[in-house]
Amino acid sequence: MKKELLLVHSYLHKAKGQTAALVVLMLLAASMLHLWLMLSLDYKQNFDRRHDALHAEHVILVADGETDEQYDFLEKTLQADERTAEFVLKPALHMVGKFSYKGGEINSELVMLEKEVAVSSSIGRVEILEEWDGADGKNEKISGIYLPLLYQSEEIALGKTVSVTIGSEERSYTVCGFFNSMMAGSHNCSMLELLLTKDCYQELEEAGCAPQAVFCGIRLKEKAESESYESTLKSKVSASYPSVRIVSNSYALVTNSRYISQMICAGVISAMAFFILLIALVVMASNIVHHIQENMKNLGTLKAIGYTGRQLIASLLLQFLGVSLLAALAGIGLAYALFPFVNTMMISQTGIPYQVRFLPLPFLLTLAILGGSVALVVVLSAWKIQRIEPIMALRQGLLTHNFKQNHIPLERGGLPLSAALALKTACASVKLNITVCVTMLVLSLVVVFSGVMAENMILDITPFLNMIVGETADSCINVNAEAEQAFTRKLDADKRVEKQYLYHTINVSQVGGLDLMATVSEDFSKVNNQAVVFEGRFPRYENEIALAAKYAGEQGLKLGDKIRIAANGQEADYLISGFTQITNNLGKDCLMTREGYERLGELPNVSYYLNLTEDTNIEQFQQEIEEEFTGAVNLTINIKTTVEGGTAVYISLMTMIVAAVLVLSMIVIVFVLYLLVRLLLGRKKQEYGILKALGFTSGQLMLQTALSFLPAMVGATVLGLMVSCLFINPLISLFLRGIGIVKCTFSVPTGFVAIAGAGLVLFAFAAACLLSWRVKRISPNRMLTGE
Amino acid sequence: MEKGMEKNRVKDTKRVLLKAERLSKTFSSGGTLQHVLKNIDLELYEGDFTVIMGASGAGKSTLLYALSGMDTPSLGRITFGDTEISALSQDGLALFRRRHCGFVFQQIYLMDGMSVMDNVLAAGLLVQKDKRALVSQAKKLFAAVDISEETQQKFPAQLSGGEAQRVGIVRAMINRPELLFADEPTGALNSKTGLDVLNTMTAFHEQGQGVVMVTHDMRSARRGNRILYLKDGVILGECCLGRYRHGDEARREKLSAFLAEMGW
Repeated sequence: MKKELLLVHSYLHKAKGQTAALVVLMLLAASMLHLWLMLSLDYKQNFDRRHDALHAEHVILVADGETDEQYDFLEKTLQADERTAEFVLKPALHMVGKFSYKGGEINSELVMLEKEVAVSSSIGRVEILEEWDGADGKNEKISGIYLPLLYQSEEIALGKTVSVTIGSEERSYTVCGFFNSMMAGSHNCSMLELLLTKDCYQELEEAGCAPQAVFCGIRLKEKAESESYESTLKSKVSASYPSVRIVSNSYALVTNSRYISQMICAGVISAMAFFILLIALVVMASNIVHHIQENMKNLGTLKAIGYTGRQLIASLLLQFLGVSLLAALAGIGLAYALFPFVNTMMISQTGIPYQVRFLPLPFLLTLAILGGSVALVVVLSAWKIQRIEPIMALRQGLLTHNFKQNHIPLERGGLPLSAALALKTACASVKLNITVCVTMLVLSLVVVFSGVMAENMILDITPFLNMIVGETADSCINVNAEAEQAFTRKLDADKRVEKQYLYHTINVSQVGGLDLMATVSEDFSKVNNQAVVFEGRFPRYENEIALAAKYAGEQGLKLGDKIRIAANGQEADYLISGFTQITNNLGKDCLMTREGYERLGELPNVSYYLNLTEDTNIEQFQQEIEEEFTGAVNLTINIKTTVEGGTAVYISLMTMIVAAVLVLSMIVIVFVLYLLVRLLLGRKKQEYGILKALGFTSGQLMLQTALSFLPAMVGATVLGLMVSCLFINPLISLFLRGIGIVKCTFSVPTGFVAIAGAGLVLFAFAAACLLSWRVKRISPNRMLTGE
Repeated sequence: MEKGMEKNRVKDTKRVLLKAERLSKTFSSGGTLQHVLKNIDLELYEGDFTVIMGASGAGKSTLLYALSGMDTPSLGRITFGDTEISALSQDGLALFRRRHCGFVFQQIYLMDGMSVMDNVLAAGLLVQKDKRALVSQAKKLFAAVDISEETQQKFPAQLSGGEAQRVGIVRAMINRPELLFADEPTGALNSKTGLDVLNTMTAFHEQGQGVVMVTHDMRSARRGNRILYLKDGVILGECCLGRYRHGDEARREKLSAFLAEMGW
């Protein structure tokens, strides 16, 4: 081992620059890899830890009404189900409502609980994370509202006033604190829990704007059964109390929906980590191959004096593995330094606190993945050392040169001298150019990803919403069924209404399957987002249904299959006419015509989506409707502001991700080119010395060096952009499969991609020119005097 | 220049091509300064075959590279026509070299990855834009040094030492330089191939080509019409031999006497 260490020392001494650049690449790869592993292996587990710590529910059901009979019914129903481990019933107030958040609006089913009841609950206890000390600083007699941590913002801060519209009534509360509720701490959980101090709760109860309700919190023996349990319970309650408004959720739905951002972020980080690792490995392989070529004579000498091929490979392995593992350790350190920033970003998306701590498994996995891949690459690249014969190596490996072909003879062709010499260099440095190709291919994908995200999310969120949310319009108004005719007549007559169509969501269930969110419309050709059905077509007839592709896949259903749907105690068969992809209910959705739904019962109320003229004030319009149809309007949603509020976090997250991957890409390209230019200049030192002696200037040689990489840069970028444009949508679908996206249909901004691709090549070329600055150090005189 | 050597100075009315004044070159090695060239004054004339002789370490190659703009002097002034080349930047020196100088090295220094023809054209295309004319000129030069068409397409590693050096001379001559600088051009060759190279250089000189050659080989030195003897960084003396004629015994004796006087 001592002998190998001596060789390692010698190699490292000779290649300080290359080693430093490799360290940076490995450090970045390790850092990204570790961040991904932390997010994937522990971040989501944090939900379970907090869930257990708070003894949180596996299923929540909130049903309006609070009669003793209803309490008895729920108690007996829950006790009768053998899957129930324990449950709690507590009083709540339940109403749809909204409040302003980050320039938009949060619209949700609000469930208001008295703070003391919520914090002392035996099941589903909430934890207060921040609390206002009151105006006097003594935390006495504070009165107001506690909101989930997710909504902490500049406007919603301790001691400030927040306006919450509950039903149709706007109420103002002082923000007394922020809390974490595992199952209802986000508008993505089907319901949103708000805590009120005792006086505020009583006041709201007396005001009667939010009906009293029973809050059932249930823990199951097996949490894996949460979805089916929720479905059964909801069906039983609906069947016994058909007119009661019910809202419910399950562990399965909440865990997924609260971690969508984490999943997107982890997906992008993992892709970047593996891309950087791939580039680092290709660079390393290229380094080793060149090391062997350049040191053929030394290797021959070492073999001649008795070193075995294995010993020489071992010394390379020791060198690269040692450097990589040290870089990996530094990278892991960097990941821990970066994690608080990522954590803050994530908490603002999940609303669940996360304590950063040392994680042994991601640590070991990072070292194992990096160490394993480096060892494999070193051994494979250095294997030819085994076959080197000392005598051949001592002749400088002449056999490794190919004299048979003169690529780009200067005698012919019309290329300028620098370009012709650069092409000769490119032909003689195939392995270096393969490294450039791999790097540019990967970075082209990053460019396309950034372009697609900018086009479909950052600059205009509509395509992302169309895919994730489904349907969007300007306004949604829900009215009682009795008022429907008068309401639609009014809309038809109103010139501000460009388009109105029934788009009502209601619960149904598959017989023998799970609960589904059914969206009912009279005519699906009127809906704004025609891309919801990505295979087959929207339902047209009463016996047709379009089903979520994810659910259909899980159930093994195909287009044309028959499916039995139940609601209101009725059942009917439907033919699957198309597949949808909406993530609202994590891929448990279906679309039905109104006639189709009415085979199962009447709609108790109806939601209409409206497209309004550009200059219409949506809030004012809705208020007018509410006034005109007093008592008949159940809900108005300004979809525009709701979408803005709900999507602000996604836009900011994606902007940060895109900026980070672009910066990372630039760092990667600079370090890769630094390594390659050094390798090339090392190899061409004598040739450049001769050329300088003949009268070539440093500028000409710098240009020649950078030009030698240009064909690979351009070729790989063009190919990479074309392939990435073709495969970016399937790739994104792969990452979003978990939330129900099967076919991604983002538009690829070809103009932007072409310009960004050209920018990428220009940046890489400029970097190569600047990195070739070392040519200036090559002096013809030094070459002649043997230095 | 040493006073006692005045009698050997060449009195020439030829045009001065290159002039060095108080030229010094100092190297720092291990913290100590080595004065390799000391206050040298020298003029090189158009069409001369100047030979710089001296023992190893006398500073012959250093002087050659300083005069040719391959290296910069520590002190002093070198002018080529109206241009002070000692004041030029590295890029300026490169432009000077490509326009006015040709180089022949002891180690030949052909570029391994390029064919024989490409080695020559890489230098030629720096100055001449008419590729067809350049190729034709290269072929004439190759014919003059007896390099066949077939050899022109070979790579340097496939050539003999003599062939390679003759290619080196063609490369040096391709831009019709005013001065051809040669550093021990036969140093790495055997007797027969060395003679071929010398004959080639002599032939070019007879056509008017100015040559400056460093050598410590008497047989090579005899080809020059002007011999400079360098010792410990100063020109100790110079000798005018006149036009080269093969088998000229008087010329050989004159050079021997001069070198003996120099302590060779």
